[in-house]
Amino acid sequence: MRSETWRALVLRGVAFMLLWWVLVEGRHDGWALGALAVVAATWTSLTLAPPGRRRIRPAGLLAFLGFFLWSSIRGGMQVAAMAMRGRRALRPGLIELAVRLPPGWPRILLVNTLTLMPGTLGVELSRKTLRLHVLDERLPVVAEARALEAAIARMLRRTG
Amino acid sequence: MSAIDWLSALLLVVGAAFFFAGTLGLLRFPDVYSRLHALAKADNLGLGCVLLGLALRADSLAVAMKLLLIWPLVLTASAGVGFAIARRAQTLGIRPWRQGDAP
Repeated sequence: MRSETWRALVLRGVAFMLLWWVLVEGRHDGWALGALAVVAATWTSLTLAPPGRRRIRPAGLLAFLGFFLWSSIRGGMQVAAMAMRGRRALRPGLIELAVRLPPGWPRILLVNTLTLMPGTLGVELSRKTLRLHVLDERLPVVAEARALEAAIARMLRRTG
Repeated sequence: MSAIDWLSALLLVVGAAFFFAGTLGLLRFPDVYSRLHALAKADNLGLGCVLLGLALRADSLAVAMKLLLIWPLVLTASAGVGFAIARRAQTLGIRPWRQGDAP
């Protein structure tokens, strides 16, 4: 096996062990079943999502999570304030955005996180463009989307 | 009550307020797209607050982590479902409501 596969095996195995520990709430009596589940989950994960060329940079991941958390707090507060004011607070519209991220999970992550960010909702993702519904056209939604895109791009590390 | 209890209670109340705002948006907003905004954002933030508040009261670290694990799972489901509904609405030719349209 290549060293990348070993690395993925160990990392994912440890992650699934932690997940099992959390799911059984720290009990110790089911460890045999747990070991079986961890092996099965690791094997399934390596088969369905083999370690690819794109690796995630840990510092980039942390930065992304921080950015995402802060944005979803702002997004929730903003839409809550609009709900209080009713529909006169809205100035909805559709915008089209050229996608710059590589195809695959980076784009899927972009569309899904945009739906949780302030003022934007993913409507359609085609090969080159992303269509968004925005709650208020006057807000700097394009800048927000670009900032999110940059945060995702910083997570990607090309190897091989 | 200890400081942790107060913080937990505060988070639960704030979480409930966001759920209230999300439901208010669902009822008041004019079309399917803007209603999805209200549900996807406000309710998810409310859920995050409620789960954090409950995790602070958990008996063990594992239980607290189990509660917190619910958040990313629901976020993923909610973002995916929101996108699917919005895309379907667009395929069906539903035009977004604009300021000045009839309700």
